[in-house]
Amino acid sequence: MSQYGMVIDLNKCVGCHACSVACRAEWDVPVGVDSAKRKQRRNWVERLGPDTTPHGLASTYYVGLCNHCDSPVCVESCPADKVDVTFSDPKTGQKKTLSVAATWKDPFNGTVQIDKERCLGCGACADSCPYTARYLFEENGTPKADKCTLCVERTAIGLEPACVQTCLARARVYGDLNDKKSEIARYVGKGSIRLESTKIKIGPNVRYYGKKKDISLLTQSSAPEKMAEVNYRRIFMTRILRPSIKQLSGSSLIGLLGAIATKNDDNA
Amino acid sequence: MAFQMTRRSFLQASASAALTTALSGWLVSGAQAKSGFVRKPFTAPGSFGDTTTVSGSFCEMCFWRCQLVGKLRDGKLVKLEGNPKSVDNGVSICARGNAGVKLLYDQDRLKYPLKNVGKRGAPVWKRISWDEALDECASRLQGVIKNNGAQGIAMFPHGCSATYPMHYFEHVVGTPNVSEASFFQCRGPRDMAYLNTLGVQADESVDMPNAKAILLVGTHIGENIHVSHVKQYLKGLENGAKLIVIDPRFSSSASKADIWVQIKPGTDTAFLLAIMNYLVKKGAYDKAYVQKNGEGFDKFTKAIAHADLDWAAKICDVPAAQIKEVADLLAKNAPHVSIHPGRHVTWYGNDFQRERALACLTGLLGAIGVKGGFVKGKGPKLANVSWPNIAGEHAEEFALHKKAEKHVFSPPGTPTQMLRDAAISNKPYPINACIAWGQNPIQTIPGQQDTIKMLQKMDFVMVVDVMPTDITMYADILLPELSYLERYDYFVKSGVQWNLNDKHQQYIAPRTPLVSSLSADHQRKDSVWITNELAKRMGHAEHIPAATTEELLDKVLAGGNISLAQIKKENGIHLQPGSDPYGVSYPVKFFNDELADAGYPGVPNYTPVPEPPKGFARLVYGRVPVHTFNRSQNNVWLNAEMPENPIWLNHETAHKLGLKSGDRVNLVNQDGVISATTSILKVTQGIRKDTIFTAHGYGTKNPAMTNAANKGIDDQALITKPAVDPETGAHGMRTSFVRIMKDGKVLNIPV
Repeated sequence: MSQYGMVIDLNKCVGCHACSVACRAEWDVPVGVDSAKRKQRRNWVERLGPDTTPHGLASTYYVGLCNHCDSPVCVESCPADKVDVTFSDPKTGQKKTLSVAATWKDPFNGTVQIDKERCLGCGACADSCPYTARYLFEENGTPKADKCTLCVERTAIGLEPACVQTCLARARVYGDLNDKKSEIARYVGKGSIRLESTKIKIGPNVRYYGKKKDISLLTQSSAPEKMAEVNYRRIFMTRILRPSIKQLSGSSLIGLLGAIATKNDDNA
Repeated sequence: MAFQMTRRSFLQASASAALTTALSGWLVSGAQAKSGFVRKPFTAPGSFGDTTTVSGSFCEMCFWRCQLVGKLRDGKLVKLEGNPKSVDNGVSICARGNAGVKLLYDQDRLKYPLKNVGKRGAPVWKRISWDEALDECASRLQGVIKNNGAQGIAMFPHGCSATYPMHYFEHVVGTPNVSEASFFQCRGPRDMAYLNTLGVQADESVDMPNAKAILLVGTHIGENIHVSHVKQYLKGLENGAKLIVIDPRFSSSASKADIWVQIKPGTDTAFLLAIMNYLVKKGAYDKAYVQKNGEGFDKFTKAIAHADLDWAAKICDVPAAQIKEVADLLAKNAPHVSIHPGRHVTWYGNDFQRERALACLTGLLGAIGVKGGFVKGKGPKLANVSWPNIAGEHAEEFALHKKAEKHVFSPPGTPTQMLRDAAISNKPYPINACIAWGQNPIQTIPGQQDTIKMLQKMDFVMVVDVMPTDITMYADILLPELSYLERYDYFVKSGVQWNLNDKHQQYIAPRTPLVSSLSADHQRKDSVWITNELAKRMGHAEHIPAATTEELLDKVLAGGNISLAQIKKENGIHLQPGSDPYGVSYPVKFFNDELADAGYPGVPNYTPVPEPPKGFARLVYGRVPVHTFNRSQNNVWLNAEMPENPIWLNHETAHKLGLKSGDRVNLVNQDGVISATTSILKVTQGIRKDTIFTAHGYGTKNPAMTNAANKGIDDQALITKPAVDPETGAHGMRTSFVRIMKDGKVLNIPV
């Protein structure tokens, strides 16, 4: 099978934020925070430093997106009813049927995707991601989890992911990590790293390449140190309220969800 | 996971529906998406599939002018991308370029002609018709001309749309008092210094992709994003060029540098003189080039003979060994070195001399016309079509700097400081009307209180803009312009392929609308229409060079033997064969007798700048990649990326003062001016103790900019004592000293 992913070459990246903004344009990503105060973004750039590292003064960028992990905790956390879904490999025609909730890891291309129609909008997946790569899109009145899809919709018709296309530095290398001949696989060979810690090792498939000092600054500042906690009460309440949610208008819905979250947080 | 247990407890019975859709197939196979785009519920449709692509135009989120295509759905622009045909930016555009969509649909944009029925600075707007607005502009400008002469009109233009009206006011109305921020608060000293050293404009003509070493003095590429220029820089680094960065701050460029020289602000020229003196004494310069093309080399070497490494080390507060290391590295890689001329260079009021030093260093290393050196691509020819120059003599006669015999090497227009002083004092003559066109003088010009004083004493203030920037609050009549995405423009972007070493190509890319300007919710117009209508009312109808922007544009393009219709057919960019730019040599005026005759130093010299008073640090400012001064601050996407401008403070200083990153602080300058807003502190080891840095252009005070108003600190409000460059009359703006104020308490910066 393939495992699509991305390498960020920090030697090239100048931290211009074009990727984040192109992604907003491509996928109508809202600006602000969702009702659980998560930043609404699929794709981000955070400037790090200047700060000392064991290898000298450094300044670099945390260029983040969904890691399409080997063991995605978000997929595990989805409470939506499981259904049988048949996946097919466009290369071989091979088919595979899996019982999946509203988010899953594709058995053929390795990307983590969401079925927006079946998503309950409970936010469990977003809560569970140690990289905060998911948020709730609430702007239409029906909350849905949202995150980077690795632009599978674009790559399907031969386009590059929006962030890759706009990158003036060509610092974002997209491709199949399992294809030994790909540029991205060469970066793996050159020593690109996964943003992991001793406590969090779930196999992120976004990798970072750069000078020792930059990698050091990135990992010391941005590697996740603990597994995020899922707000089970909110999930429970969302499920219970699910039939009535459909009747509510957009603005009151956001308010209502926000209120539930706050109340339950207080109780906890 | 414990969660599985919990989950089971509320699993509902509806779980068994089986989906047989081949999801991976849908995701990966192209046929379906191509043949009939199906929009999925709750899923954003993306910019492809059911959109149409409109090619043409170029960006104006900054002034680099990347070539674009627009993706439209149902007539609405959903995305901007680089034009695949571009040999400049290619398919890439920066964050600001991508965010152009949100400028187009910004709710705060100016929509109708407005009349201020309140006060300047505290406006009350009344919507009026274009006829009323233009009649009033014309009659009040004519009133000023009648009482004070054409020189009684001051103009502050910026951007593509301001060129046509600028030519009208200079050449037909006859005022010399036009002051462009792009010269007097930005590039003026650079371009004049290179013209008077190498005989050509500097631009940013360094062949970085093919350089073996790159020297950046204060230039922070990366924080300052111009797409094709950053591509050149990165290609150079990828090809193994050594990068030397001279900066008091660990900038984005410093973080990629092989050598970072943490220089004391204001001393760069001493550093450059010492390098040149060292290379001369050591004989490590391009003797053949200097002998063939140098002028006044002996006078030059004598004049800089005092500048030894220890002298500079003491002034610049860096080790002499590091200066030597830089000099040796440059010599080792000469002539394939890019001595970057910089872009925004109006720092200390001694900037012409620093730029002369950079040009001389370029010549000394023979880094001209060779791979990696100072090389100018040969762009296509276009026609020069504009207003006839019928009042140029009148303008010349009243040019303030010429009358006063000052600033002999001024770039075109009138030095801003002289213009503002004259307007406030009515000496040597009254200036009673002010036009701002695409420029926001409140935040571009230092000495904000004087700018406001100037505006308050005017008989008439007219402002034309797209957004309600701070200057619009001072308008009597405020006119709304079409954005760059909805109009043709007089200016044509042209040039050569981004890497001079690639196949030689020239391109011509006119601005054409990507979206229709027609909409019932506004009455915006383009600058050619506005200027022509004004000219008709001021009795200049006979001089109008073209009735519409399209017609004007076609005349400009005709000079390149191409038409607008043809370029539209060619997807917005016309490409034609170029020529080899290498092998050209320029004379190098190491000593310039014209300068000496005018009473300026004929050899680049170092003039010390005032030291920070005790308890203060020098305020330096720069760029962030997501904003172009105040213009882009209100953009919802860009604002989200960086809503405030962090205040960089040295970590040891912060420790002594009990401050930490994230603290909210004000800045207070040497004249007691307190920033009107606060911003967040960034405590870092990457800045000198005598220096505080922040990004320029934040803290707009106009509440009509609903996203941007009062976010971050307006650095310009704190620059109350600008310097003036003697040769060019351009401002020096890194001249303010500040302390930090937290919770109302002012903290002294320890030495």
